[in-house]
Amino acid sequence: MSAIEWGYSVLPARTMDLDRNDLGPVREMLEEMPQFGACIACGGCTATCTAGNLTSFNFRRVHTLVRRGEYTGAWAEMNKCMLCGKCRLVCPRGINTRGVVRLIKRKLGDY
Amino acid sequence: MVQTFYSGFVIPFIVGTSVLFAVIIYKYVRWMVRLPRRDKLKVWHGLFSVATLKGIWECFTECLLHRRIWRVNPLLGYMHTAFALGWFLLIVVGWVETIAYLGLRFVPLQGHIFFDYFTQDMDHGPRWGINFEVVMDVLLLYVLSGLVLAVFKRFRSRAMGMKRTTKLTLGDRVAMTSLWFVFPMRLLAESFPSQLPLWWGYSIALGVFFVAMPFSRYMHIFTEVPLIFLRRWGITSEAGREKSFDHFQLEACSRCGICIDPCQLQRDAGMRNVQSAYFIRDRRYNRLTRYVADNCLLCGRCQVKCPVGLELDTLRLGSRHSLSGTPSNGRFNYACDVDRSRGEGRVGYFAGCMTLLSPKILRSMERIFTAAGEQVWWADRDGGVCCGRPLKLSGDIEAARDMMRINAELFRNHGITTLVTSCPICLRVFREDYNLDGIEVLHHSEYFVRLLSDGRLTLKPGGTEKMTYHDPCELGRGCGIYDAPREVLQTVGTLVEPAETRDEALCCGSSLANMAVENSSQVAIAQAVGRAFEATGAGEIVTACPLCKKAIARGTSLPVMDLAEVIEQHLA
Amino acid sequence: MKKIIVVGGGPAGMQAALSLVAEGLKPVIVERSGALGGKLRDWHNLFPSMTPAHEVLEGMTKQMENAGVEVMLHTEVEGLTDGGVLLMEGKKLEGEAVIVASGFDIFDARLKEEYGYHIYDNVFTTVDVERMLNKGEVALHDGSAPHGIAFVHCVGSRDEKVNQKHCSKVCCITGVKQAMEMRQLFPDAEIYNFYMDIRMFGPGYEELYQSAQQDFGVNFIRGRVSEASPTIDGRLQIKAEDTLVGRPLKMTVDMLVLIVGMKASSSNEKYALPLSSSGFLTPRDLFSGAVSSDLPNVFYAGTATAPKTIGESICEGSMAAEKVSEYLKSRK
Repeated sequence: MSAIEWGYSVLPARTMDLDRNDLGPVREMLEEMPQFGACIACGGCTATCTAGNLTSFNFRRVHTLVRRGEYTGAWAEMNKCMLCGKCRLVCPRGINTRGVVRLIKRKLGDY
Repeated sequence: MVQTFYSGFVIPFIVGTSVLFAVIIYKYVRWMVRLPRRDKLKVWHGLFSVATLKGIWECFTECLLHRRIWRVNPLLGYMHTAFALGWFLLIVVGWVETIAYLGLRFVPLQGHIFFDYFTQDMDHGPRWGINFEVVMDVLLLYVLSGLVLAVFKRFRSRAMGMKRTTKLTLGDRVAMTSLWFVFPMRLLAESFPSQLPLWWGYSIALGVFFVAMPFSRYMHIFTEVPLIFLRRWGITSEAGREKSFDHFQLEACSRCGICIDPCQLQRDAGMRNVQSAYFIRDRRYNRLTRYVADNCLLCGRCQVKCPVGLELDTLRLGSRHSLSGTPSNGRFNYACDVDRSRGEGRVGYFAGCMTLLSPKILRSMERIFTAAGEQVWWADRDGGVCCGRPLKLSGDIEAARDMMRINAELFRNHGITTLVTSCPICLRVFREDYNLDGIEVLHHSEYFVRLLSDGRLTLKPGGTEKMTYHDPCELGRGCGIYDAPREVLQTVGTLVEPAETRDEALCCGSSLANMAVENSSQVAIAQAVGRAFEATGAGEIVTACPLCKKAIARGTSLPVMDLAEVIEQHLA
Repeated sequence: MKKIIVVGGGPAGMQAALSLVAEGLKPVIVERSGALGGKLRDWHNLFPSMTPAHEVLEGMTKQMENAGVEVMLHTEVEGLTDGGVLLMEGKKLEGEAVIVASGFDIFDARLKEEYGYHIYDNVFTTVDVERMLNKGEVALHDGSAPHGIAFVHCVGSRDEKVNQKHCSKVCCITGVKQAMEMRQLFPDAEIYNFYMDIRMFGPGYEELYQSAQQDFGVNFIRGRVSEASPTIDGRLQIKAEDTLVGRPLKMTVDMLVLIVGMKASSSNEKYALPLSSSGFLTPRDLFSGAVSSDLPNVFYAGTATAPKTIGESICEGSMAAEKVSEYLKSRK
């Protein structure tokens, strides 16, 4: 067995503390783009993602982490996205996934 | 009075005119100075060339006659011509009239404009056999007839072939209201030349209009002229950056609103503030939001109709670049050595991301290649790097270039001489942005035409089944390919055209260029497109773009097929 | 005595007719196809008890014969008229009340092109599998036995991309049931179910799910399959994200089964009554008016209003009959 890849960041603590995480940016994003909250985490986007098949980039996972207030590295991860639009074609919720990528990049550039 | 050409009432007019020319000269000089060196050189080269003569002719046909607007709607055209040509002739004939009555001598501007006031004690009988009074009255009536239509249009735009007109800014309202007063006041003042208050009214209307003009949409009256020449001399806007030249385009927009009706986001998805007229307005007044910049399908339907011929899509891309471009920083280095290609041949086939999710097209392409005996190198059958156009359309042009380089290198490494793609999005970026010297880039429709004419492919003639064809935006308006797909389809069936077709064709609504549009709007547009095709009575809809195929299928119960699938069905 | 028109001769319509007879009324079933039973005729064993579908069907048809219910086969209803329904060729059928039990359509899996139905030979739907089970010939296109089988949940359900926003309710359990049936047929095969959510709402469903996991060795992977593509050796490669691990996953299988959802019947539009966003007829309310329409003499039963199990549809057939009876009494 090879070592397990944990996605993109080494978290100092394994527990996500929703009491302490700053959820302000998430609320702003949800307000700007309500469909940001419509994900049912089916993973279709990640399955079809070109970048996700070549790197550790996992759009669904980064999105879920951002929803929990875990922002570290999100901007850098989203920069791997080619905006090709395959994820949007497969998304069963019809989410503007490319819009989500750009929203995260715009809002979380400082993290 | 003739001696001084002065009366108190001319002050508003003189102030207005001075402000107008000061502002216009300031703007134009600033924009010209800031042109990049390359563009300045183009101006010098172009100045003494045929382009200038052509420009003069275009100024006449477009700035005065407004030919392109006539094509949209004759009534609308008449209105614009009445204003432009009528006013222009009033000025020109006015100058001639001055000379006719006063001889060749210096007459200040107000002397021409308020000629009837300053010469009210002169005999206004015919000179040189011309009854100037009648000529000027006829011209004024001509302008007034345009004015009546303009007022009418504000309240009943539909009668002028426009379902919607633009919403106005404050500057526009001031300018428009004063403009509406200019000609009726002139008529009154010239009818009763001794009534000073009427002359005051006329002068104030002119003065207010001139002051408001450079800050309103009426700036287009002058700006279209330099724009025409600069364009003729080869200066263009660029997708990758905002340029000084853009100002000429932005201010040459009259916000006539002709771009609003063709916009499917407006007519099918109810969006009222993102159309090109509003985008240009917002950018001009520095209040452009990302939402407006991003919310456009870049389908090009409005650009085709724009009477000023503005590069609406390019301007929007430039804004996107300024608003959201991120540096490339080697972001896509991970894709550098990706080579998942298969097979070998001088002909390469690039499916593109959208075709990879449309396996029917892939299978059809494979069968067609086999039938034609073509040795094919499959560039991305098992996945590959995106062509870069979607990223470019988002405004991230530098990063997109990285992806283009990666793919171009892949193509060269495999020594192909022809590159076929079934995706018009990829096709357009290959042709416009890739440097693929020595590799001929073909859309699959063009490739099929070639196979058929070379006799490498024979098709069974179809039955009587009627088909209709959807022009993908990137293929039609984007790459100018309208005939190749039709030529192929006509060999296998009967083709019927929808009401809006070729360069007026509808957009499927799911264009990758729109970074903001929501699912519900995409579906609403697809349904409208579906209805337009169902109205043709065709039994199937054929298109030549995998994304259009998927998008339209969401809005109709008719089968939607790619051109390749139709060909495959008819392989002999 | 005037007739009560029952549109559709599936489980809901048949039960409605039987209950009407029991109420002393005279039903007439108008059925589009050539036989009673609706889609029940195509099914093999019914979840969760694995009762053979033909047993349920034969039980009901026998009762129908005994009750002497009038049935009009090969007859299509074109719409409602005053005091009855409009049939083909402008004919009218008079009745005192109408029960719309016209059922659902099967989602056309070809619309999910990325899954390759009717493109690759070994992509099937759950409906195909039921037919194969009935024939006793479950096999790959070339007649051989599959070694790897993947079930894809939610094909044509919960999917904005095909205008099917709703959950079709019965597919989760159908997927579990067929996976277990596959295990019985192919003891050595690898069987995977790719799901977004497993919704085990009915009696005995959760137990079946657990049994599939621990007794039948069915693997469940939480992730939606994004696409299927052919491999060089003619098998199928599917892609998904294993969302519980958080990494993309691909695997090669011999057989891909698409668990197709319920689509609102295209005939629903004929009644000119309110439709939900997914195209199902909208009942007056979802509680005591669940089988009532906006018209006093028109009632609903079964999947015309929403995806339902066979049991629920039969239940609604009885309920609709009772409401018809109440309605007739209230008029007197």
